[in-house]
This record gives sequence, structure tokens and C-alpha cells, in this order.
Amino acid sequence: MTVAENSRKGLVGRGVSRVDASDKVRGLARYADDLDVPGCWHGVIVRSPVSRGTLRSVKLDPACDASKAVVVTAQDIPGPNIVVMHDRAMPLLAFDEIRYIGEPLAVVAAPTRRQAIEVAEHVRIEIDELPAILTTAELVRKFKAGELKTGVEQNAPRGVGGFAGGAPESPDVLCSQSIVKGDVEKGFAEADQIVEAEYTAGHQEQLYIEPQGLVAIPQKDGGILIEGSMQCPYYIQHELHEALNLPAGKLRVRQAAVGGAFGGKEEFPSMLAGYCALPAMKAKKPVKIVYDRHQDILYTTKRHPVWVRHKTGVKKDGTITALKVDFLLDGGAYLTLSDVVMYRGILHAAMGYRCDHVFVNGIVGRTNTFPSGAFRGFGAPQAIWGVESHVDALARACGMTPHEFRLKNCLRVGDTTPTGMVLRDSVGSPAVLEEALKTSRFADKFAKCSRGRKGARKWYGIGLSFFAHGSGFTGDGESKIGTKVALDLGFENASPVVFIRVSSTEMGQGALTVLSQMAADGLGVDLDRVRYPLPDTGLVPNSGPTVASRTTMVVGSTVYSAACKLRQRLEESAGRPIAGSKSFEQIASKYLAEHGPLRVVEAFKLPDTVRWDQATFRGDAYPAFAWGCNVAEVEVDTRTLEIKVKKVTACFDVGRVINPVLVKGQVEGGLTQALGYAVMEKIGIKGGRFDANRMQTYVIPTALDVPEYDITFVEYPYEFAAPGAKGVGEMPMDGLAPAIANAIEAATGIRMTDLPITPEKLFKEVTTKCAKDAK
Amino acid sequence: MKFLEDMDCAFPKNLQEALKLMADEKSRGRPIAGGTDLMVQWSSGVLPMPERAIDLSGLPELKGVSENTDSVVIGAAVTHAEMRRSPIVQVHLPSLAQAAATIGGAQIQARGTIAGSVANASPAGDLGPSLLITNGRVVVASKAGEREIELAKFFLGYRKIDLQPDELIVRFILPKIHAGCRESFRKLGPRAAQAISKVMGSYRGSAKGKEVKDFAVALGSVAPIPIRLPEFEQWIVGKEIGKKVLDEAEQRVAAMIKPIDDIRSTAEYRQWVSGRIVRGFLEELVAE
Amino acid sequence: MKTITRIWKVNGEEKTVKVPPMRRLLDVLREDLGLKGAKEGCGEGECGTCTVLINGAPMVSCLIPAGQVRDGTEIMTVEGLEKTEGGRLLQEVYADKGSAQCGFCIPGMILSSYALLSRNPNPDEAAIREAHAGNLCRCTGYQKIVEAVQAAARKWPGNK
Repeated sequence: MTVAENSRKGLVGRGVSRVDASDKVRGLARYADDLDVPGCWHGVIVRSPVSRGTLRSVKLDPACDASKAVVVTAQDIPGPNIVVMHDRAMPLLAFDEIRYIGEPLAVVAAPTRRQAIEVAEHVRIEIDELPAILTTAELVRKFKAGELKTGVEQNAPRGVGGFAGGAPESPDVLCSQSIVKGDVEKGFAEADQIVEAEYTAGHQEQLYIEPQGLVAIPQKDGGILIEGSMQCPYYIQHELHEALNLPAGKLRVRQAAVGGAFGGKEEFPSMLAGYCALPAMKAKKPVKIVYDRHQDILYTTKRHPVWVRHKTGVKKDGTITALKVDFLLDGGAYLTLSDVVMYRGILHAAMGYRCDHVFVNGIVGRTNTFPSGAFRGFGAPQAIWGVESHVDALARACGMTPHEFRLKNCLRVGDTTPTGMVLRDSVGSPAVLEEALKTSRFADKFAKCSRGRKGARKWYGIGLSFFAHGSGFTGDGESKIGTKVALDLGFENASPVVFIRVSSTEMGQGALTVLSQMAADGLGVDLDRVRYPLPDTGLVPNSGPTVASRTTMVVGSTVYSAACKLRQRLEESAGRPIAGSKSFEQIASKYLAEHGPLRVVEAFKLPDTVRWDQATFRGDAYPAFAWGCNVAEVEVDTRTLEIKVKKVTACFDVGRVINPVLVKGQVEGGLTQALGYAVMEKIGIKGGRFDANRMQTYVIPTALDVPEYDITFVEYPYEFAAPGAKGVGEMPMDGLAPAIANAIEAATGIRMTDLPITPEKLFKEVTTKCAKDAK
Repeated sequence: MKFLEDMDCAFPKNLQEALKLMADEKSRGRPIAGGTDLMVQWSSGVLPMPERAIDLSGLPELKGVSENTDSVVIGAAVTHAEMRRSPIVQVHLPSLAQAAATIGGAQIQARGTIAGSVANASPAGDLGPSLLITNGRVVVASKAGEREIELAKFFLGYRKIDLQPDELIVRFILPKIHAGCRESFRKLGPRAAQAISKVMGSYRGSAKGKEVKDFAVALGSVAPIPIRLPEFEQWIVGKEIGKKVLDEAEQRVAAMIKPIDDIRSTAEYRQWVSGRIVRGFLEELVAE
Repeated sequence: MKTITRIWKVNGEEKTVKVPPMRRLLDVLREDLGLKGAKEGCGEGECGTCTVLINGAPMVSCLIPAGQVRDGTEIMTVEGLEKTEGGRLLQEVYADKGSAQCGFCIPGMILSSYALLSRNPNPDEAAIREAHAGNLCRCTGYQKIVEAVQAAARKWPGNK
């Protein structure tokens, strides 16, 4: 079932060129900083210099001539001082308690950036400093000491059901949630041995190449137009209309070309839009803020640092009897959307393998650091880092190879997941595992690994990971959010075309192209009859945010279904079928001439069979899972302990592949981002502040760092959402880090449990091991 | 806050004009050539912006690579790209050619210059070790005339070189590698390209069979300035390279340096891996 | 503010600018000449998206004081690519191969490709990777960039 390029009739399944390629290769795409906004002012944010404290005052030095500028503080916020997020707790501008270094206290705007900076330098702040918690390690210490009290620990009787977050006991806990299946203690009692280990990873920066940037433009009707770099136009409206005291309709949001996002432009632009809108409303001028790279690294969201502890019961024959997982994320200073990140984390933390007794305990702890946020994978990479490292430990404990153990235990059709979901349809397991093992010749190569052999110049190792990724929102969320799409039939230069009206954004992943392909197939026309302008909340219905690997599956299938309906309407009115673009033109022109423009609106609905109980975290956690297997081959230089990832073989089931060229590109990019997470990308907290603030110190892979990629797809379409795609965007981020760690163990004989895996950490472990061996 | 646009810049047409500007405190400016370090340091506030810069990138006297019987002469404003592509440098100063090829990416190599890298005097300056192993000299000039300094004495301390306010670096005189000698450069960084080094090293030496005849070795990123290891060099000369000597060599090198922890690496790893790099050099030196 | 006058050949056309001598070339291109193709990704010469060709050599325009760019210098930005046969070819293969995803690195990336192929029309994969190591891309993992350059090399003017 491996896909060959261009194997199908129609456009779905064909590697057509991107519809936005021409503008991009000619330098014509207009990103936030390229927007030509006449009379635009520039905003500069005044930030807290301390991690925690009580704000006494924010004042402009009276000696400063600010006649050409506006200064806004919390007092200037027209509505309630909140960015809505998930708990209505985060202020747009701090006014009382300051909770992290860099927290915005005021915004200065002026006709030039220089003037704004000069005035901002004269804003005087008085703060009474308070003690702060600055590191994930401190949260872990508290957790182990029993100081992070959660509802889960106190209220969830074993084997009965989870306990939904609610009001946690400890102020250092932002939220908590458990997953309970069977009776984990009973499972441990059945085990021949119990394997325990902890795995950790720090922050990861999205490092999209285009920094954050937005402009707020006051409108004649008293409203505000926000334009620029973002993933989710409707989020901005939802997050800010209260604070700005504007009805949703008067807070219009329009996307510009986006130079990469990876989650970093999911919720963060909602804050930035506020920093632009406030001075814009006060000055009645357009105000633009484009971060430079220093600001962008220091003052935007990152991937949540994680500490995860696995305790697993196994039998001698390799059967898993109990899976107990503690999953702790560092949420930073405010919840924002960390609850949902943690949910996705715990839903993937014990996923992938058959086990009757599972207990997963998820906590988001609070530190006085920049709020952690969305980043490709959204909790799943952290969870899979833990479980897929641990599975190798289990295999070894049972005297099995990593692949035998996975093949024995992996979930298959008919098995149940930790939330009790029975896998029925579209299950790419064990196909992805078998395919990747075969293409990589894993078994042969695994037998030849160095395992720290003395005297070798290079150590070779191969390792794998196997995982699932829930496509779309958790449970029945996709039905609840009411995804709506519209297709407009109209004229463009006297020629009929169909406009896709959705809020889903292009940020590099290829949404414009694959949704256009699906629309064109639904209509039975060529790509040149379809238009997909960048979203504008004034013109498009809410098709949901561009997140969670949902766009192709959920929005795409809804567009496809709307296109089929539109086609049907036209065919009925014409009394003959549309056979290609030519007949579409005739039929559509006639229709438009007789009836005027035609809009078809379609909403996404899940089948009734999807059942999810958010209170107990039981049921169908996702409409469907995509599946993946990564195999990494590494070489460790025994002279320096430098780690080189030589080759990555990966197989994915992402349902029906809509565009084989684009999907491969997206997967290669995602694997490269995961490579960085695994062995390179490092940003710590020093004195409450990120210790890297430049592209020179936050290091991502270059063209010379990437391994050879061998990527294949097996297709298990999600038939409910024709044409059958599942999620793909996040998957390539999920599993490479543990595959590399497993390969490093095969190469060196040393298990690395903290990301990124660097020569420095490896050296420390080697030294420790040598000291032990010497005794 | 200051802005680049506020800074003035003088564009002398030749060295004489430049030295004249440098001679007077009133017309003096911060010399700039490729700007690959300065522009970053100024705009990020790492270095205070001066009133004025003096552009040296167009001075004909500072360009060009030439050779005489014993040495290669490299003009101060020769770029990394020019060095790595120069057949003279490739043949006679292979370690320097290798080092130049590891700096930044193609864009930085096309701009950055040898004198800029030396004057920036970063502990992680990529050219330092390769220059030090040559026992070369640097020529600086002022209106009063020229002065020649051994490179080993030119680096004074953290970001400090032996250059007076009215002086400019004009060229480097770098003794060629002798027939029968070997040299090479090794850099460990956080990634394969565009990396600031964690540790780097260069050596130049010769051997007869397994016996070390000459050995010069220098390390970077392990001290405030690039360093030679003279005591080690003395010790190793005359030794037969075998496992025992290599083990001891590794230990000795590690014991001689006191690197620090920073964002790129740890002191303990730097110390250990420096010994490992030198071990590799010795193995390479006596390899068939 | 002191200014300096420079006359350049930008994308084949003569342009006169009057700018502060230390103003970054990137700002002069984007703001004074309205060539918004070149992007600022880091402002520190690390990401390469502001790469332009100065007399054919790729350089990061964020680190170049405009005054240092002498009269008569030829500057090529992404906007100038389509005036050349090789440039048009690169645009075509970048589009075909899916090499541009978010597109933000592309103005610099594609100029690095052009500079490489102009100097070496038959690069091996290692040379291609090295020539693009100064251009960071967060979307593609570089594979599709390498494929595009390989495809362009096969049809490069003079290589046919």
C-alpha cells in the first residue's frame, strides 16, 4: 500500500506544485513586516525586570517629552484586563502581581520605532520583588516531596475513573488530570518485574524564521483590524474582544503570509495583537510591532519542559501488565492553554501498547517563567519521548529485542487504548512498524550495534520508536467547535471560480494547496478554477484554529463535501454533469448569470459512534489516530563523543495522502525539527530568564546536519472524512528523539534520559560508568 | 539607545589616508572591514557604538595573498573565502585554510577578514590556533611606521590585543609548513556548520617513523585567548607514539588547561576533549 | 544625520541612494528602494534570509553598512532573479520540488543556489549542502532544497 507519486486520477494523491509557490520563489509574498500601512506607528513593550513581584507603579518620567507618543498601561484597557485563554487568569498588561521576567507592563507607540524606544526608556517602574520558582527541577523536587497536591491524588479512587482538574490544592499546580484503566496495582501484582525510570526534556523554541509581527489598524466604525503573522485569526478575536471592549464583529482579523509558526503563532499572537491594539485605539493610529530575534526568543512561548516517570510491570514473556505514568509539565507563569497540552500529553504517554491496567497522572506546574505554549506535537513529543525510551528498557528487561517487544505488544485492530477506545478503523499499526523495520533492515543492523565496544574509532547504533498521534481535537471536540466552511462561486475577470472561505491558515504546511486539491476534486475541475485567499474574519466562517493536525482531515474533508454539494447544485441546475474545467465554466457562467453568486456552507460533524467523556477521560480520545515508526541510525565518535545521526527511516500512516510531494517535505522538516530537539536545541533558565537569545546561541540544524531520510507512507484512510486524510503536521515531531536515544544506547551502551543529548552529557555518563566499572 | 544610523563612517582610499585619520584622536574611528562581528555587537549592545567607523574594506594595501621562500603573506582585509580558496594558503597553510572554511556560512566567509577575526579577539576566534602554530608574525602600522609582533605575544587577554589606538593591522607573515611536516585543524561545535566552537585545535609537526621530531599545538575556546602548549610540545618531542604515550599525552593536555562552563559546553568536557583532540593529532602525525 | 550618496546597479538597474553610511544594506533595500523580497530573520547574520548577491557573491545584507557598498557594485536581490535564465530556472524547480514551504527563507536560499550554480554548475550533494549552510530553514529539512538545486544543475545554462 505504499504510495507512488501521481498514482491517482483527479488531484487528490498527486504531487501538484504549491499554489503559493510562485509568489514565494519570486519574493512577492507579503509577510507582516512587508505590509504597507500608511501612517503606521511602531510599538515597543515595557517589561518586568523581575520574575515575581508586586507592581507599585508604572510611570513616564515627567522630564521625557512624550508629546509624539502614547503610553498605555493596564489603566488604559477598555474592558476587563484579561487575555481569555482557558481560565481568564492572565492579564493583558500586568497591574498587580508580576509573575515572570519580561511580563508586559506598558506599551509605548510613536511614529517611528526609534521614537518609541526613546520614550520607552523613560518609563519608570516600581516593583516590590517576591520569591519565585524558576525551574522545572524545582517543580519536580516539590512533586517528589509531595508538595504539589492535585485533585487527582486526593480524589481519584483507583480503577474507577479519572478526576477532572477542577480546583487544585497547591498554588504551584495550574491543572491536573488522570487517566485510569483497570487497576494498576493489580497489574503490578501480576508482573514478574517492575521497571522504573525518569525522562526529562527542557524548553524548545519554535524558531520560525519570520519573527512575530502584527499591525493593528483603527477602522472608521470604531473597530480594529489586526493583520499579520498568525495561525488562528478567530483566536485573536475570541481572546481579546473583552479586553478591548469590542463586539467580535468590530475586531476583524486578517492573516498575512506567515513565515513559519509550528504552534508558536497559535496563542501568542493573541497577546501581541493586544499590545498593538491598545496603543492603536488610544492614538487612533495604526500600530505595528515586529519582534526582533532577541525579543522573539526571550519573550514568546516555548515547548513545555517535561519530567515523566514510568513505572511498568512486565511478565517474563514480554506481556505488559501495568503502566503507571507521572507526567509533569512546566507551564510557566500562566495556564494559557497548558491544560490541553497536558491532556494531549497524557493521552499519548501510555499509548501504543496493549495493557489492561493503566494509570496516568498529569500535572501542569507553575513557575515564574514565560508561559509555555503550543509547539508542534502539543505535549505528545514529550510523552512519546518518555514512553518510547522506556519501551526499550522494558524489552531489555524481558530479554527481547526492541522490535520483537514492540511487535508483540503494539496495539492492533480490536485492542483498546488507555482511555478504553476500541481501535476499529484506519489503524496503521502494525503496518508502519513492519514497513519501517523492513525498509531499514532493522533486525540485521541491530545485531551489529557497537554497544560501547572498546577500541572502536566509531560506535554504530540503530534505534526505533513507534507511536500514534491523535488527529484533530480530543474526543468529540471537533463536533463541538462547529467547524464551518463556505465555498463561494463567483466571477473573477469574467471567468467563474470557486473561493474557499475558511479560517484555516497557510503557514508553510501546504493548506492552501491540499485544500484546493480537495475542493477541485469535489467540483471535478482543475486547480486553476479554485481560489483560496488568506483568511479574513470579516469574510470567512470559523473553520477552527489551524492546529492539532486537523486542517487536512477536518477542514479539508468539509471543503471536499461542500465542493461535492456545490457541484451537485450546478449539475442539477444545468441538467448535465460537470466534466472538467471547460464544462464547469459553461455551467457555472450560466448559473451565475441567471442566479447570481452562490455560497455553499458546510459544517463538520463526527459520526455518532465517537463517544468521549471529558469528566472521566474515558472513551474515544480522538476521531482517529495517525501512526508512525521512526528508525534512527547514529554514529558516535569515540574520540570526542560527538553524535552524528546518519540516517532516518520513517514510515507513517496519515490516512489518504493528498499530496505526496508536500507531505514528504513537511515530514522531512518535522523530522529535522525533532532532530534538533533530540541532539542540539538547548535553552535553559538562568536567573529566571532564557539563557539563549540569539540564533547563534539557540542552535538549529543546518543543511549539513540533517541525515539521509528514507520516508514511506502506508495508507489507512479515515473513511468517515472523505477523501480520507488523517493528521500529519505534528507526527514527524513525535518520535525521533526517543529513536535517537535508543540508537545511542545501542551504540554506546549508555541510556540517555535528558534532552537534548549532547556530547557533554554523554561524557558525564561515560565517566560515571567508567568509575562504576572500575569498582 | 544608539542607532547605527547615527554613526559616521570614513572611507579612506588608501592605507596612508587611513593611518592619517587614525593618528588624530579627532578623526579616529573604529576600524571596520567585513563587519561580521562589529555590526552584530553594535546593534545588540554588546559593544558600545562609537561616534565613527573607519572602513578598511577598500584599502588596496590590505588585500592579497602572496608568498616568498619561507612565508605566506596575507593582507589584513583578506576574507575567509579568499583564504580557503587560495592555492597558496591551501598548500602552505592547510590548517588555516581548513579553519577559514569552518567560519559561519558562505555569506560570512565572503565578508569576514583575517584581521577582523584576530582583532575581535574572541576566545572562540576560529583562526587563532591555526595562526599560532605557524610561529608567525603580525605587522601593524601607524603614521609613525610599522611594527612586527610575534602572534604568540599579540593576544594579551580576553578580547585584548597588542594594538595601539592609532595602529591598524596590515598583514600577517606566516611561515610555510616544511616538506615532511603535517598540520591540520579540528573544531568541535554544536552543529556541523555555522558553529561557534566548543573547543578547537591545530597542530603542525613532523615525525620519523613513530618518533615525534617537531610538534606545535594550539587550542582555542579553552582559555581567554588562543593558546600554545609549550611544555607539552617539549615533552612530546622525541617520544615514540604508542598507547602509553598517547594516554599520557591526553592526560597532560587536560591537566594544562582550565576551560570554563558556558552556554556552548562544560569545563569538564572541554578539558577532556582537548586531550582527545591532541591525541588524535599525534595519531595522525605518525600515521602511514 | 550625515548621509552619503552611492550609485549601484541593483537587479540590472542603476539606483542612486542617499543614506547614512552605517545604515544596513537590508534597510536600504527594503525601505529606500522598496525591495521587500529580502527578509530580516535575525539581524545578526545567522539565518541568511537577508542574503543578497554582491558582485555575484552571497552576503548577508543585515551586516553590511550601506556606505561600504561602493559605486558601481552589482547587487542582486530575489526580485532580480527572473531577469536571468538561471534565476528563472531556479524559480521553476523550487516550485516544482516543493522547496518553498513558509517561504520566508527562500529569498536568501534561492540566491545562495544561484551563486553556487553560477560558480560551480556541477556541484555534488556535499557542495550543495555547504553552499546553503548559511541559510537556515525551519520547514523543509533542506532535502527539497537540495533536490531543487540538483534539478537546476541538470538544466543550468551551459550545462545542457
